[in-house]
Amino acid sequence: MAQIPNLDNAPINLTSIREQSQKELINILKNVRGKKCLVIDPKLGDSLSLIIQTSILKEQGVELRHLSAEPIQTDCNKVVYLVRSQPKLMRFICSNIHDDVSKGLHREYHVYFVPRRTVVCEKVLEDEKLHHMITIGEYPLHMVAMDEDVLSFELDFSYKECQVDGDTSSIWHIAKSIHKLEFSFGVIPNVRAKGKASVRIADILNRMQAEEPVNSSDMAVPEINTLILLDREVDMVTPLCTQLTYEGLLDEFLHINNGSVEIDTSILGPPQDGKKTKVPLNSSDKLFKEIRDLNFEVVVQILRQKATSMKQDYTDMSTTTQSVSELKDFVKKLNSLPEMSRHIDLAKHLSTFTSKPSFLGQLDMEHTIIEGESYDICFEYIEELIHKQEPLITVLRLLILFSITNAGLPKKHFDYFRRELLHSYGFEHIATLSNLEKAGLFKKQETKSNWLTIKRTLQLVVEDTDTANPNDIAYVFSGYAPLSIRLVQHAIRSGWRPVEEVLKMLPGPHLETKRGGFSNSPSFDTLSGVSTSIAKVPDGRRALVLVVFVGGVTFAEISALRFLSAQESMAYDLIIASTKIVNGQTLVETFMEKLG
Amino acid sequence: MANVSVAAEWQLLYNRYYRKPELYQMRWKHVDLARNKVAAAPFGGPLAVIRDDSKIVQLHGESALRKLRLFSSSGHLLADTVWRNPGGRLIGMSWTDDHTLVCIVQDGTVYRYDVHAHLIEPNLSLGKECFESNVADCAFWGNGVVCITESNQLFCIADFKNPNAVKLADPGIVEPPRCMAVIEPQYTVSGNVEVLLGVGDGGEEEDAAVLAVEEDGVQRLGGEMLRGPLQKMVVSRDGKWLASFTHDGRLLVTTSDLTDVIIERECESALPPEQLAWCGMDAVLLYWDDMLLMMGPDGEPVTYLYDEPIILIPECDGVRILSNASMEFLQRVPDSTVSIFTIGSTSPAALLYDALDHFDRRSAKADENLRLIRSSLPEAVEACVDAAGHEFDVLRQQTLLRAASYGQAFCSNFHRDRIQEMSKILRVLNAVRSLEIGISLSIQQYKLLTPSVLIGRLINAHQHLLALRISEYLGMNQEVVIMHWACAKITASLGIPDATLLQILLDKLKLCKGISYAAVAAHADKNGRRKLAALLVEHEPRSSKQVPLLLSIGEEDIALMKATECGDTDLVYLVLFHIWQMRQPLEFFGTIQARQLARDLFITYARCYKHEFLKDFFLSTGQLQDVAFLLWKESWQLGKNPMASKGSPLHGPRIKLIEKAQNLFAETKEHTFESKAAEEHAKLLRLQHELEVTTKQAIFVDSSISDTIRTCIVLGNHRAALKVKTEFKVSEKRWYWLKVFALATIKDWAALEKFSKEKKPPIGFRPFVEACIEADEKGEAIKYIPKLADPREKAESYARIGMAKEAADAASQTKDGELLGRLKLTFAQNAGAQSIFDTLRDRLSFQGAS
Repeated sequence: MAQIPNLDNAPINLTSIREQSQKELINILKNVRGKKCLVIDPKLGDSLSLIIQTSILKEQGVELRHLSAEPIQTDCNKVVYLVRSQPKLMRFICSNIHDDVSKGLHREYHVYFVPRRTVVCEKVLEDEKLHHMITIGEYPLHMVAMDEDVLSFELDFSYKECQVDGDTSSIWHIAKSIHKLEFSFGVIPNVRAKGKASVRIADILNRMQAEEPVNSSDMAVPEINTLILLDREVDMVTPLCTQLTYEGLLDEFLHINNGSVEIDTSILGPPQDGKKTKVPLNSSDKLFKEIRDLNFEVVVQILRQKATSMKQDYTDMSTTTQSVSELKDFVKKLNSLPEMSRHIDLAKHLSTFTSKPSFLGQLDMEHTIIEGESYDICFEYIEELIHKQEPLITVLRLLILFSITNAGLPKKHFDYFRRELLHSYGFEHIATLSNLEKAGLFKKQETKSNWLTIKRTLQLVVEDTDTANPNDIAYVFSGYAPLSIRLVQHAIRSGWRPVEEVLKMLPGPHLETKRGGFSNSPSFDTLSGVSTSIAKVPDGRRALVLVVFVGGVTFAEISALRFLSAQESMAYDLIIASTKIVNGQTLVETFMEKLG
Repeated sequence: MANVSVAAEWQLLYNRYYRKPELYQMRWKHVDLARNKVAAAPFGGPLAVIRDDSKIVQLHGESALRKLRLFSSSGHLLADTVWRNPGGRLIGMSWTDDHTLVCIVQDGTVYRYDVHAHLIEPNLSLGKECFESNVADCAFWGNGVVCITESNQLFCIADFKNPNAVKLADPGIVEPPRCMAVIEPQYTVSGNVEVLLGVGDGGEEEDAAVLAVEEDGVQRLGGEMLRGPLQKMVVSRDGKWLASFTHDGRLLVTTSDLTDVIIERECESALPPEQLAWCGMDAVLLYWDDMLLMMGPDGEPVTYLYDEPIILIPECDGVRILSNASMEFLQRVPDSTVSIFTIGSTSPAALLYDALDHFDRRSAKADENLRLIRSSLPEAVEACVDAAGHEFDVLRQQTLLRAASYGQAFCSNFHRDRIQEMSKILRVLNAVRSLEIGISLSIQQYKLLTPSVLIGRLINAHQHLLALRISEYLGMNQEVVIMHWACAKITASLGIPDATLLQILLDKLKLCKGISYAAVAAHADKNGRRKLAALLVEHEPRSSKQVPLLLSIGEEDIALMKATECGDTDLVYLVLFHIWQMRQPLEFFGTIQARQLARDLFITYARCYKHEFLKDFFLSTGQLQDVAFLLWKESWQLGKNPMASKGSPLHGPRIKLIEKAQNLFAETKEHTFESKAAEEHAKLLRLQHELEVTTKQAIFVDSSISDTIRTCIVLGNHRAALKVKTEFKVSEKRWYWLKVFALATIKDWAALEKFSKEKKPPIGFRPFVEACIEADEKGEAIKYIPKLADPREKAESYARIGMAKEAADAASQTKDGELLGRLKLTFAQNAGAQSIFDTLRDRLSFQGAS
């Protein structure tokens, strides 16, 4: 089964976007004639694995290498670098070329920047006096389809860069990517944004439309009706909670990377000493599509039922005479057997984690923190984690969750935790703490927390969640309804108007506007409740809403959105885009910076 | 029939008709072609006229200084200038494809003029050799020229856009060639120009040949077949055929490689014609003094008589004939026109045309005609439309189009857009053919030239309004026109103040959405109007165009503001590096400090590549804590130095750096915590260094305080552990966890038990239980579990070591159903234990708890 997902069922034509990206990449390789060594920065290589098969690259006479400080070992005379336009990566290219020069190797160098060349990267090459040796090009890869309803801009560090470094490059890139989508699918007429970065993106998007207009007359009806932009900063609670959906848990424990997990082969069958295998996880796997978004508890039951019914069928088969069509059905079922056994193995493997007392304790604590009524218990729990020197990332996840729900910690506790952390894990983590403080994730308390009001108004904690037959998104966290998705729910249903009071309590401004040739009078720009009722697309398909998470989205949130989209009362299809798919660990990791 | 007069003007050559409508009565006065050298641009382009300095002419009271005059095809004076160029006689003059007039003088200098008779500098040169030996003759094509010097060497400029003179192979001749022609690069095998030279003197037949000269060789062509030298040659438009006039008065048409003779015709005169030209692809024109002879492949030639000098201007579909008084166009009559207007024609088209005539006269015969041609009506309509396109006479265009539209009404399956399309084309053609504009394009030329090139020529000639109207009419992008207009306007408006000119420009620029204000502004700047440029660039919506221009006109601060506004960090970096280069560091720091995005981006970049400079920046802006962080970071880099890691005194510098950081942190109240931490860090390093010396084990440096304590205990050095504890005021709670876990690591259970009895542990016995369970020492764990205070913990701990009954007992005290359920799960494999929990839970639910 391929890691590249099948996009035929996507609500918009994502296949064409992917094909375009493939074509552009192949053209780049064709333009450099003959044999060549393609050096890819590893992160980018991961993203490319969702776009093109390595075998196709090899057909272009390509030797593949990963970018690193190590000299390139190749006989090829032509070296093509394919790198994200990050100044840090230039250092590797420089050291590679310097190494070649010192060995007297004369090679032809091409550097292709993704998604575009930048002044700062070229400046580094210029300062190293290598500029004249390099042919520079661009590979405008702005986004990657992770699945039929999920797009990723592949901006791993977006949140940290914006919040800590003040480097807002990613914001411009997101706007650019959305604008690029608009060239294919029409100007999106309705925009709702919450958060500083999101509002800025809406602003830049309008600028781009003014500078480089998408000709709206070419397209009768825009394919995407509404754009909802949401900053991760608005809801940092959700990603820090442990996801309890099947896909979410797989990510928490096994780390889904670009639509696949790498696991020991022993998990899937007889052990083959230490060998790893990649399991693709996307909608092309019918069974996975069915169970990915369900609460893990339910998944275990469903898998058990399926296995039982299969066994029953098998018994029937061997005892009674069957008609041909029944036989056919049975064979069909048999075909899904490998998928089923794979997921049963994965689920079994996950159970070994979920049954641990420490895991249950952590879940308990997350809920206690979210309940927001037992400060001391939480404080002591986290303190103990530090004293036991539990993995730093585990501690930070809870600590940040604790800090956010309390709008920071009293100075005494703040300093105490910081000191205990430095003492327990080393002073090199001062940089991490400073980053978290700058980002407002772990900080001194300055105002009273609104969390309880927010929680109550938006009904974030739902008692008696029936995970098997859920009637609310809270099932994804077994009782906690993700704040981000609640906001999206409101934005879709009625616009920001009714929840304005709560929105004001959350970080960043919000905005609701109409765009493009659809507003003839300026009065359309005002926030009117009427403008929120969106007409259905005439051809009977459901209207489409693009939900963009600036700073990352978790699988659990995606599941919650899919749940919403599947509701009968819902008039829209949803498509989700994010800077990156994250979980609490990967998100916190972006802030970690060891001085040492 | 009304059509008779039309066909009466035609001449029959072989089996084809030719016609020679007059395009213009020349509007010029007192221009005598006999006295002048003339260069005419094809596609109805302009004419350049200058007195021929190779002829002796009488000056009728005019200045001895020559004037170069540029006319439109209709003889309308476009511009003139006095010719003062040095370099000897004017040898050749021609228009390039983009309407640059190229004039080559004897010494090989190439002077170029635009259509406004402005000299385009710099002048080009054909090189030293030409300068020394003089240019004797030259032959032009599209954008190139080949010159022959008096010493019979050939030089070529292949493209005036990229003017490099190249010497061709030496033809090795002594006498100058009798005639010269070129085959354009696009038609040769090599892709380079090929020059044909007609050589040989009249006496010796075997000497006669055509030399084909290229850059890398000379080929001798023709030979016997020629029977003597050629006196005149001309290559057809497609480079395939060569028409030549032999020494004995024959017209030869051969393939251009002179392998096959296609046509050979005797002429009455052995005297070579003054001009030889192709008329389209099927006839050749020969011009002697007052006679123009048109020869076809067969049949009698057609003779035209002229009593004044003429100049033949070859076009793709005919030849324009310029005389002192008029401009004519000699062309083969198009088939559609023939079918309509031939005398006695009964073709459907002719009948349709006739039907219209009857219809206009309200004659019933109109209907009769239509009936006759019913089945072939579409072709008839098509022929009328086509014929209309070929007409220069507007009235006749109209009649033909009316005939077409009359016929169309009766035929359902005709492509209706055709008439509309043709009307559109004709409107454009008639507009440019007008006397004032004077571009006499035929429809075929127009299609070959393309509308966009036509518009380019119009704006080049400053006919902006017409160009704008045409591009609007044809639905083309008007940006080119308006842009050119704006630039021309700026150049021509030196006297108009900035604000007024800006308004004039904006009024027109706004006509075109998406036009580049930046490009106009750049032009203004080039013309020395920086202020106007600044005003214009303000209107540019595309930041990516606006910002670089602002930089180039020295408006760095506005550039920075605009770049920041648009959110494109790449542009901000562009400005940033520009300012960085332009200004002194302190001034630079000041500029970016005020702009947050620029500052943050600078810091991001500098963190990677300009560490020291970044320190300067932080110092100059008083961000001491950031300097402190940098120093602290450096201290680790020192630590990574292999010299430093071996417990050498290099810890000294490292600690010094940290202490420096500590002091910098202490400067601001907000960073007391960091200062304290740095202080502790320095202290820890010293202490770890001591430990490494005393234990002779390099395992302490760069581990945390907690790890140091653990390591000490694991090593059995309890005194040292205690010392670290007191030095850093480690809390009792943490101390207990650390010590318990450390003792469990080395499985010193006795010591652990002793420790548990030292005093009442501040956090109870949980650490002891956990450490034992984690080490899988049930026996040890049982010692501590009963001492746990919380029954829940007790129950869970028992459960973890598999003691179901004890767990159940403890759990029953909590009355917590959820806990029981969970414990039951842990005993999933153990049926006995499960039933215990089930009973307990049942009992609980009776009590109403769940």
